[in-house]
Amino acid sequence: MSLKKFSELFGDLDSINSTNNKIEVLKSYFLSNEPINNSWAIYLLTGKSSKRFISGRYLKNLFSQIYEYPQWLIDECYLKVGDSAEVITLLLKNKTTSRNKKLSNISLNELLSKTIPELSKLDEEDKNLKIKNLWETLPEDNHLIFNKILTGTFRVGVSIGLITKSISKLINIDEEIISHRLMGNFKPSIDSYEFLINKKINLQELNSKPFPFLLANNIEDKIFKHSINDFQFEWKYDGIRMQLIKRSGNVSLWTRGQELVNESFPELVEKISHIKDDFVLDGELLVWDFDEQIALDFSLLQKRINRKSPTRSIQIKYPIIFIAYDLLEINGRDVREIKLENRRIELEKYFSKWQNKTENNISDIFKICALIYPADWSDVLNYKEKSRENNTEGLIIKKKTSIYASGRKKGIWWKYKVDPMQLDAVLIYAKGGSGRRAGLYTDYSFALWKDQELIKFASAYSGLTNIEIKELDKWIRKNTIEKFGPVRSLKPEMVFEISFEKIQISKRHKSGIAVRFPRITKWRKDKKIIDADSLENAYELMKKIS
Amino acid sequence: MSTKQEDLIRYEDGNLYCELADIWIDPSKPIKRALITHAHFDHFTFGCEEYISTRETAILLQERVGNNLKIKTFEYGEEFKINGISISFHPSGHILGSSQIRFIFAEEKWLISGDFKLQKDETCKQYEIVKTDYLISECTFGLPIFKWDETIKVANNISKWITNSPEKTSLLFCYSLGKAQRLLNEMSKTNFKGNIYSHGSIYKMNNCYKELGINIKETIKIENKNIDELKGSLILLPPSLSKGSYLKNFKNIQTAFASGWMSIRALRKRSGYDKGFPISDHADWDGILEVVKKSKAKNVFFHHGDSESLSKYLIEKESINVLFFGK
Repeated sequence: MSLKKFSELFGDLDSINSTNNKIEVLKSYFLSNEPINNSWAIYLLTGKSSKRFISGRYLKNLFSQIYEYPQWLIDECYLKVGDSAEVITLLLKNKTTSRNKKLSNISLNELLSKTIPELSKLDEEDKNLKIKNLWETLPEDNHLIFNKILTGTFRVGVSIGLITKSISKLINIDEEIISHRLMGNFKPSIDSYEFLINKKINLQELNSKPFPFLLANNIEDKIFKHSINDFQFEWKYDGIRMQLIKRSGNVSLWTRGQELVNESFPELVEKISHIKDDFVLDGELLVWDFDEQIALDFSLLQKRINRKSPTRSIQIKYPIIFIAYDLLEINGRDVREIKLENRRIELEKYFSKWQNKTENNISDIFKICALIYPADWSDVLNYKEKSRENNTEGLIIKKKTSIYASGRKKGIWWKYKVDPMQLDAVLIYAKGGSGRRAGLYTDYSFALWKDQELIKFASAYSGLTNIEIKELDKWIRKNTIEKFGPVRSLKPEMVFEISFEKIQISKRHKSGIAVRFPRITKWRKDKKIIDADSLENAYELMKKIS
Repeated sequence: MSTKQEDLIRYEDGNLYCELADIWIDPSKPIKRALITHAHFDHFTFGCEEYISTRETAILLQERVGNNLKIKTFEYGEEFKINGISISFHPSGHILGSSQIRFIFAEEKWLISGDFKLQKDETCKQYEIVKTDYLISECTFGLPIFKWDETIKVANNISKWITNSPEKTSLLFCYSLGKAQRLLNEMSKTNFKGNIYSHGSIYKMNNCYKELGINIKETIKIENKNIDELKGSLILLPPSLSKGSYLKNFKNIQTAFASGWMSIRALRKRSGYDKGFPISDHADWDGILEVVKKSKAKNVFFHHGDSESLSKYLIEKESINVLFFGK
């Protein structure tokens, strides 16, 4: 089975828009290929592999060196294409059309389990030679896949959900089971594929694995027509959503991104292991201010998540807490089909038992989320507006009679986020985008007034429609003052409404402030640049909320 | 270096102009006398007093805009004189009738490439290498990422695209003059044996090509057709119909766009079509380099496209003197 088949699959998936057709294409691919290659295909398509064997820069340098191509010309091409692997693929077409070397017919398995891992063991000179040789012997249609795997940029419009659906259809087993089997560390092998398509469901094997997460939808107006008593209200924390699992004495901490993160939070794993019952909890991990009893900023949590085996001093400096929202399994009994209000009763009951019966104090690292009891829907609004005070993002509203389904199911949970903060700012720089936005100026920097001067305060990439992006791109090209590499400084003329979630003092920025999640929410064509906000307005905004 | 007032041909208000002959090349505004390189609308404007083109271009233009245009025609290679300047048309391989235009005055040769390609295309005359001192070339695809596949390979991919979805109606969007006829010609060499339908604007051009002796596959004009009959067929449509309500005339469709830009994934994704087939009637990077070299031009200008990289490359790597139009 050659890499060619996988290249074709990639091409098909890339050009089919209908979900059903994608599933059909995947199904027939799985049926016509060996388990080991299927296993690798799943590994690549679900984005489990993002390992970078060499950087895009290295790839471009190598091409430049081998084929005596000026580096600047490759960079110019990159601006148009937006992906190093694709640039080199397109340039290779110009180099290998008249080759006469024998083409190799390498399998996906051989490429990923042998050829590429062996590359990293070679010294630079041999590695470069080997890559050149592969370029010249791989069929042209395989270059893109090869370059993308090399640079760890293999991404295609296939979600893990789509893979789940195709396998579920292939073997006629519920999506939930497949989704369960796909969670966590999927190691490509014949066994892992056979396990995935096993028609018998073995609970033992699934022991440490989390349930698919239930996700909240954006608020819908129709829920305001219902009685407030039909819903449970919680704060929406800005931490890391997790499932805390204890089964047969083993604790596992899974993120929603399906990562096992026990090693980053050993103090939590240790404390939980003292609890006598087995369970699966859905909740949020946060860095917590134990004096004020509120969550600390997400940036502090980032200092913990990427650090394995944190030292004691790190643990003290950034104290964590797990706040449980929901009980999914208790002592081997799956309770997801029970109504939320009853799950809540169970959760409270067990939590108070654990607090009282566990030898070590667990409440310094583990609690259950407090519920909010608004009097009516206008009171809900009051709570929502107060959410900044306790560092939450708004409210989560859950239907009391709902079961714990999987995915972003409609009509079960809603998020009711606090309105963002906004400032009107002037566009001063633009930079070329990459990937799908290649060849267009899509990365923008915005400025606020300080006396007579415009000071950069935020960069934003998202928020404009495709039509607006094209229109703005045209304007940018006509109103450039200066070019610095991929960046253009622009005539200050365009005003945009910028929304963001948080604003704080920052010494690193010239403006003295930093904002979180800045995005464009409106192109204020009605405003002149003198109407834009000043840094002072920003400081006032900061005072108002702290 | 940039062009000077005394150059034979210079840039004036965004158009190429030969002052000594008082003649404009593909002007975008109405003037007295216009040389037209080919019959695409972005190279033509109404209201000029007199047009000069090849015979084929004149026929195509009259078919598209009506018979009351005053067009003087010449055959390829036939020299004519205006104010002592010798002018001639030469095949540029872009579409039927398309031409390069050569000017000779006081033993100095100038060549305007017009839109051109070197790839083989049975629906028009092959590009002719013309030697010159000054070359004014288009450079629509002036980056080395553009390298065209053989036309038959693209046609086979189109054929596969249709036959792989027999339950669908396949809509292929392409320019109605030139690209459509080239695709039709090439499709007849593939295994595709289903029906091919053309939109009225394409159908009209097909007939025109046939009258001019070009052999292209017969198509059915897409009018009042029962949409259920279109399953598994290929429908050729102009790109202007890809957005808007026209597509509601069909059901269960897949769409594709045939254009050189489709070789870039980001552009393909952004285009909104399901699929993109990279095929162009313009030269790719290698094609432009070949023309520049074989023309033996000592001085080269570029227009129509992003010429920065191409110019820098020719100056640095090939030591060719690239000039820039003064404003």
